[in-house]
Amino acid sequence: MSIIQLQQLKKQYSGTYVLQGIDLSFEKGEIVGYIGPNGAGKSTTIKILTGIIGDFEGEVTVLGHDVRKEALAIKRQIGYIPEQAALYEVLTPMEYLSFVGKLYQLDEAVTRKKAIDLLRIFELADKRDMRMNGFSKGMKQKVLLISGLIHNPDIIFLDEPLSGLDANAVILVKEILSQLKQAGKTIFYSSHIMDVVEKISDRIIIINKGAVIADGTFEELKEAGAKGSLENIFTALTGDHEHLSTAGEFVDIMKNLSNG
Amino acid sequence: MGKWLLKLVRWFNPVFRKQGVDTDLMYAIVELKLLMDTRRVYMSWKQGQQKENKNHLTFILIMYGLFGLFMAVTIVQMPLMPSMILFHSFIIFMMAMTLVTDFSSVLLDTADNQIILPRPVNSKTLFMARLIHVMIYLLQFSIAISGIPIIAGFITYGPIAGVMLIITSQLTVLLAVFFTYILYLTILRFSNEQRIKDIVSYFQIGMTLFFAFAYQIIPRLLDFADMTVSFTPKWYSFLLPPVWMATAMESIYTLNFDKIHIAMLALAIAGPLVLFWVMNRYLAPGFSKRLEALNTDSQVQQKQSVTARQHKGISEALSKMFCSSPVERGAFEVTWKITGRDKAFRLQFYPALGYIPIFIYLLVFNGGRNFSETVNSLPESNKFLMLIYIPLFTIASSFSIVTFNDNFQASWIYHSMPLDRPGHMLAGTMKAMIVKFFFPVYLLFFVISVFVWGPHVIDDFIMGLCNSLVSLIAIGLFSQHYLPFSRQPNVKQQSGKFLNLLIQAIVIGILVLVHFLVIDKPWLMSAVALTTAVTFGFMVKKLQSIAWTKISV
Repeated sequence: MSIIQLQQLKKQYSGTYVLQGIDLSFEKGEIVGYIGPNGAGKSTTIKILTGIIGDFEGEVTVLGHDVRKEALAIKRQIGYIPEQAALYEVLTPMEYLSFVGKLYQLDEAVTRKKAIDLLRIFELADKRDMRMNGFSKGMKQKVLLISGLIHNPDIIFLDEPLSGLDANAVILVKEILSQLKQAGKTIFYSSHIMDVVEKISDRIIIINKGAVIADGTFEELKEAGAKGSLENIFTALTGDHEHLSTAGEFVDIMKNLSNG
Repeated sequence: MGKWLLKLVRWFNPVFRKQGVDTDLMYAIVELKLLMDTRRVYMSWKQGQQKENKNHLTFILIMYGLFGLFMAVTIVQMPLMPSMILFHSFIIFMMAMTLVTDFSSVLLDTADNQIILPRPVNSKTLFMARLIHVMIYLLQFSIAISGIPIIAGFITYGPIAGVMLIITSQLTVLLAVFFTYILYLTILRFSNEQRIKDIVSYFQIGMTLFFAFAYQIIPRLLDFADMTVSFTPKWYSFLLPPVWMATAMESIYTLNFDKIHIAMLALAIAGPLVLFWVMNRYLAPGFSKRLEALNTDSQVQQKQSVTARQHKGISEALSKMFCSSPVERGAFEVTWKITGRDKAFRLQFYPALGYIPIFIYLLVFNGGRNFSETVNSLPESNKFLMLIYIPLFTIASSFSIVTFNDNFQASWIYHSMPLDRPGHMLAGTMKAMIVKFFFPVYLLFFVISVFVWGPHVIDDFIMGLCNSLVSLIAIGLFSQHYLPFSRQPNVKQQSGKFLNLLIQAIVIGILVLVHFLVIDKPWLMSAVALTTAVTFGFMVKKLQSIAWTKISV
């Protein structure tokens, strides 16, 4: 049975549908890249799958649980790493992680040890008792990653997980994601960076304006789409042909210093 | 105090569990929130003075306690009705202000939705945790504000009236919550999140002003607190909650249960409870819905940028009038716009304007002594001299705030530009500050003075203007030169401020003296005004020609 199942998922905000009937299902152990331009409905989908938004149309089950009725059971077994660095910045990483540990009702000593070790791996060991309001976006993102994984979830949802990370951290996170896959975890993440999706996904779903417009492996999409890289496929699939002429216009305007 | 109060809450554990609340999770959340409360930057105190690792909350609570002490003195000294009206008004005011300024970040916080909602916490637990946190927060403040006055009440009016005072003060806190709620609801109804933050920042300015003012004025008020104010209820008394509370107190203390007292007593007890019930029942659901919408409404922001565009024009028009070079105009316009939009700037600068009425009160009205006499003899005095130089004194010392900005890194742009004389930037900024903040105040005082003293003060104001302008430019010329918005806030911001103030005070003192000496000799006055005007022009040129080597980074 599929680990995640969406049937005719629709969601509206004040009259306009941001998701207009999504049908998808995923198997255990897949890494799924969920990509689309800003406003395509990526975050909304993830928030519904993680039980944060309960007000939608259609049927959604995660790990066999109905997200409307058994959100708590789902939340216990999944990890969610949100897009904006949403954490309590006046806390230190250790304080924040031990709080999160309490919410998952983990043993305090275990949480502490795990947090210390994971922070060390992310090279934040020396900062673990400093308040996070001085942290860079990448550092906060690392703490968020830990806070979403500390309870050893079965499914991991990541909303734009690599934005703001430095190049080394990006490589590290990608590697962690593939290791997690080998450990049997299911990973569902959204992105608009093509490069990331291409390298680590088993399956890529492209959505635009609240509807799925492509679904398959990178190879399949490559055949279906135009030429080489995924960026081209993406451009072709989302009908964004205007970049070339826009760039030309940009340079033309730039050259023109006089008024008129 | 919060942790201590939380221990009391534990007595109700069985009740919570029955409701389906996971108490361990609940305490984890409440404890965390209380911890974060102690680390929040409290706006009612000057930002720059707060250091990390200090418990700001305790500090604020002690400060509130001090105000409570003033109130306690009032309760002991004044008759029952006026002191009780004052005390309950004080509670409403302080609680509402605290809720609006400091607690708004908690009430309007949607970070919870991102952080706690994805975790396995049921909604009842989260709701209860929030409720308990808010209650502990309110209780902390109401104890700080009303603790000492209530003790004073016990001593002055005995135990029964004392208990009544505890009840009425807590009911008043409820009322304050209700009023704050209504305020937020109104704002949320008509505007967006950014607007709320703006409005909250104005409240914060008001709060800072109030504190500055209160510390000057309240001790003076206590001097003549022995006046006997007789109180007779009017029809509108029924609309004023502090009057309900005070009358209720009086009726318990004097055992007076006539019609008016019974009616007020009923209002005092039923009023807050009914309003609170209405709030919970009818207003709260809509409130949280609107709050949710704040997060998802991206269209609102577009509207905002459009309104910003409409404001354009004032600064452009003025910069043409006052500036001589394009660089100067650029600095003028940018200063004008950023000072109008940057919250941190407003929070630090506007209180400086607030000192103006305080100085007027102290210098022009002798701090309230022989008030009517002072007012009557005003036209014969030379006190318009104060009005001429108070703006200079209060505003000039705050001009350096313009060099600070949270976004200080953005000043790389000045350094990357092919700018020959950064002095033009400094001059443009200085001109913008003078035109935007000094001129309006000066003009206002000019109009008031002509009204009070008659047209013979016109030449004084002209000379005063020349003197003020020279002083302002001199401060710019002789202090360290920083480009606008280029310094990181809170770093060494306080250093050397006192010395600057002292030098300014001396300079201004000399100016007033010179002005006083020439006041009866119009020809000398014209000569002085002419000289300063020429000096001013010369100094502006000097400021404009400041080179890169003189700019501090």
